[in-house]
Amino acid sequence: MPSIFAVGLLHQSLFFLILSTVVTFLLAPLLTKILYKYKIVRRADFDYTLQGDRSEKAGTPIMGGLLVIVVVIGITMLFNWDRRYTYVPIGAMTIAAVLGAADDLLNVFGGKRRLRTVKNKFLLIKVHKKWYMKLWHAITVPWTALHEFTSMFGSKQGRGLQAHEKLLLQFAAGAVTAWWVYTRLGESWHSIWIPFDGSVYIGWLIIPIIIFFVMFTANAVNIADGLDGLAGGSLIVAFAGLMALSWVEGRTAFTPFNATVIGSLIAYTYFNVKPARFQMGDVGSLGLGTLLAINAIAINKILLLPLLAFIFYIEIFSVILQVLFRRLLGRRLFKMSPLHHHFELSGWNEEKIVMRFWIIQAFMVIVALWIALR
Amino acid sequence: MLSPAAEKIINDYFNLPLPGIANVRCPYFNNSRANQRGQLRALTGKGTPNEIIAEAKIISLQYKSGLFCKNGDCAEKNDHTGAPFTADEVVKFLVDHNLGIECSGFVSQVLRAHFQETKKIDFTKKMFIVPPSHLLRWLLAKLRPIENISVRVLADDANSNHVIGGAIGYNYENVLPGDVVIMLDTGPLGKRNHILLITAKTGAIINYVHARAWTSEGRYNHGVSRGTITIMNPLKTLLEQTWTEKELSGDKNETFIEAKQARILEIKRLKV
Repeated sequence: MPSIFAVGLLHQSLFFLILSTVVTFLLAPLLTKILYKYKIVRRADFDYTLQGDRSEKAGTPIMGGLLVIVVVIGITMLFNWDRRYTYVPIGAMTIAAVLGAADDLLNVFGGKRRLRTVKNKFLLIKVHKKWYMKLWHAITVPWTALHEFTSMFGSKQGRGLQAHEKLLLQFAAGAVTAWWVYTRLGESWHSIWIPFDGSVYIGWLIIPIIIFFVMFTANAVNIADGLDGLAGGSLIVAFAGLMALSWVEGRTAFTPFNATVIGSLIAYTYFNVKPARFQMGDVGSLGLGTLLAINAIAINKILLLPLLAFIFYIEIFSVILQVLFRRLLGRRLFKMSPLHHHFELSGWNEEKIVMRFWIIQAFMVIVALWIALR
Repeated sequence: MLSPAAEKIINDYFNLPLPGIANVRCPYFNNSRANQRGQLRALTGKGTPNEIIAEAKIISLQYKSGLFCKNGDCAEKNDHTGAPFTADEVVKFLVDHNLGIECSGFVSQVLRAHFQETKKIDFTKKMFIVPPSHLLRWLLAKLRPIENISVRVLADDANSNHVIGGAIGYNYENVLPGDVVIMLDTGPLGKRNHILLITAKTGAIINYVHARAWTSEGRYNHGVSRGTITIMNPLKTLLEQTWTEKELSGDKNETFIEAKQARILEIKRLKV
């Protein structure tokens, strides 16, 4: 039964929220200065998305999401460190954030990647003089095939981490989470909560489900981070939903934990609304996407993720559908994907898209709460 | 005559339905050089006029080329000169962005409209493209028939019958609108195929349309085109008739040269 009178928990969580907001506000100018100093900015010379109206975004610092990640880790480790509940979400988020940071930095400072195709690989196996290189190329053919397959779903920029490399590391974050849920959180997490219908015991099958949701949500947030304020604002609402659910269920670790994320995101979004002072970057979007999935899993509301992360899921589904239409039917479903670009090309301005997406996200979180509390 | 729907689609290729700009002839584009795999129909030289224009709008908006206003409805003025965009500028834009139509794509799109109107069928779904034993290719061909219909597929005896040439001989009375002139293994190296679509036959004159790029037309002046074959010698081969296009005949007519170079030159009718 929900502990709706846990005012103390709410009060404590709001303190975490206020604290993280203030700390993030204070650190924001410092981070901005560092990002400008080391020229960690979007570069128009090899970022193909910075065309036309979007060219004004060139020169904007990226990796602003680092602010949220650092503040959340710091406050949680100092004031809300719980070996059973918070250290694995923080750990998995850190894995994803490090992966995102590597991608951001390689995108700015890295050289062009030499990307071989399966055809090249077979040619190398055939022509290479050294037997061990032939063996190496033979062993790595499946990896190259995975790269070729995943590159069909995204852009081929030739810089930064490639999709197949990201997937491997995201799998690691998902696997850590699955291990934690399966072995540490107890028997009740071997059952999956079903809206309106109690729960169903699924045993070890929870492991692949968790890995899938962690990877899927991380990529969904990453894809949605394409307009100023869109990912930040939508994440605030999503984590607010998680905080409300945690509070209602009296979860003493997760309510302040989600509140900390919300507070930090409020300050981040303040600086991220158009014209953005900095952008989230993969460090923030992958890290926070991973955390969003984990925090929903941790309160056993995995099936609510499509509603709690509604906008993010819509965005990633728009990409998947667009690729399927393009590859299988030879035509477009949307003018451009992710969905926010479709509306941009339809003549909507950035602010209109972002605010409408926020409103839709807020509504869907309310629906999620209604379902969860029923 | 071809059906009104087929005539409309031919006219749309000759005058792409661009709001505000008239007389934009669809340029020629063949994917063999760009070699785009699994791409949009419009980017592989197989698109309808509307698909080509829709893609041009998206590219223009995406890269702010200024060809269309923000909602994609109308052509704008040239930013530099202040004058409205000319048809030539639009064609240049299309060619530079690999937008256009190739010969078998053009014929397939026109015949699809023709048979949809006259026989209520999508002929592309009736074509034999690859046998089911090549499962993946077969599935892809079922999903994307237009993209997989080449001149060789249309010329396949499983899909079309001889009207002129082959064992049939030369009786030009049998030629009807909707028949196709097939040129296999043509070009200087004998590696190309080409196809013309017969749109009308009036007395001794056969009218045809096709999508082609003559070498004499340079980088931007190619595209869909009309021509005629005048039957001067009814009992003789197609090469012994008079081919006229752009008011050029004989060896100045590159379509005729292509026909001369073809290993196989015949007129066929689709089995629909």
